[in-house]
Amino acid sequence: MRDSTLSASERSRYQRHLALAEIGPAGQTRLKAARVLVVGAGGLGSPAAMYLAAAGVGTLGIVDCDRVELSNLQRQLLFATADVGRLKTHAACEHLARLNPEIALEAHALELRAANAREVLENYDVILDGTDRLATRYLINDACVMLGKPLVSAAIHRFEGQVMTYVPGRGACYRCLYPEALEGVVANCAEAGVLGVLPGVLGAIQATEAVKLVTAVGEPLSGRLLTYDALEMTFREFPVERRADCAVCSERPSITMLADQGERCGTSLERVRRLAAAELLETLRCGAGSRGASNDRASDDRAAAGGSSAGIVLVDVREPHEFAIGRLEGSINIPIGDLPRRLVEIPRGATPIFLCRSGRRSLAACELALRGGIEAPAHLEGGLLAWAREIDSTFALD
Amino acid sequence: MTQPAACTVRIASPLRSYTRGAAKVAADGATLSEVLADLDRRFPGIRFRMIDEQDAIRPHIRLYVESREVKSLSDPVAARETVHVICALSGG
Repeated sequence: MRDSTLSASERSRYQRHLALAEIGPAGQTRLKAARVLVVGAGGLGSPAAMYLAAAGVGTLGIVDCDRVELSNLQRQLLFATADVGRLKTHAACEHLARLNPEIALEAHALELRAANAREVLENYDVILDGTDRLATRYLINDACVMLGKPLVSAAIHRFEGQVMTYVPGRGACYRCLYPEALEGVVANCAEAGVLGVLPGVLGAIQATEAVKLVTAVGEPLSGRLLTYDALEMTFREFPVERRADCAVCSERPSITMLADQGERCGTSLERVRRLAAAELLETLRCGAGSRGASNDRASDDRAAAGGSSAGIVLVDVREPHEFAIGRLEGSINIPIGDLPRRLVEIPRGATPIFLCRSGRRSLAACELALRGGIEAPAHLEGGLLAWAREIDSTFALD
Repeated sequence: MTQPAACTVRIASPLRSYTRGAAKVAADGATLSEVLADLDRRFPGIRFRMIDEQDAIRPHIRLYVESREVKSLSDPVAARETVHVICALSGG
């Protein structure tokens, strides 16, 4: 148990908070006693964690299993160039400790899964979701509902962001907002791009909400979705009601245990064949003679796919503009959003191998295919990025 | 019978590949159903990204007319009102 009284140094550090009647010594003491968890040390998690550390949140936990990449530095202010290759949690905690040595930092270098989510989250008072996976968003939401923890959830895409706070027993949860969303149906930042300063705005709002929840001041962003459009420079607010039939927070929830995506949907992703780039190359060589990689835009998609002697159909689930830049020869283009109604285009008995940029949308396509009755879909693990890296360095992606 | 006046539809960022990048587009209709049908005529395929085969709003999409949440596609849309298409985002 940390000493909740404020030291002379803390009184000096937090003087501007102490000067606020709404926070004052009582609020600052609450902050010092608080335990806040930031899931995802990315664009959102960076500013959120930095502001929470600076604000004097006594114990700050950071969850992330990734390592720092050069492309993170455009927006993830927790990291410097010298951190590239390091575990994000370690680099983040170092940075935050320099920012405020008075607080305790807890690094969780792990991927949040159904098996560990409860154990990680239950030790914190407030949870911030800044992850980049929909499956993890639902997992965090479900765990927070079950544990009765407030959750501040934010997400970003290109020039837009959204944020909403879940207050247990009071307002809508993330599943009330979006009952279900399949991974890959919505492009992530790597695929769609993101304005570097965008998560700064949303992450700072998340930190604001956390400080308000801890100090019990103001009105939380509960039952309201706040959207931000950086191009228009507009904020909008939309009411979000609790769903009487919400799968997790309603009176009669159908979700009472945590589960990883795939298990939840009643499909078994174990039935998905995950091909490494070299395996795909081998499969194509065995199945279709000389068919291999190229950026050829001239061949007839449908004819090439229909003519697959091996019963393999390459289905590229990226958006048309991505497909136009470069594609595997013989692949057909069915954007992931159109896939449910266009599954019929995959010849009966053929094995689809789904392709996308990073392997996320193609895995989601496998899930849709399984739901649609296709027995054994496959996908290129690591996506066409892996193909370009391991097989064909001339393959054009963007 | 007067012609339905155009309303504005604000397109969620992930769906703007259908509107050639436009964030706001015009569409005609007195109900949300009519507005979305007109939108689909102008930008083929976009309706299916929001509405499924059973005419239900997809679970990762929310539709508002001004700040009123749409529960049914038969909900009215008045002239010059804005329909907001909001989509779950995954980026962090």
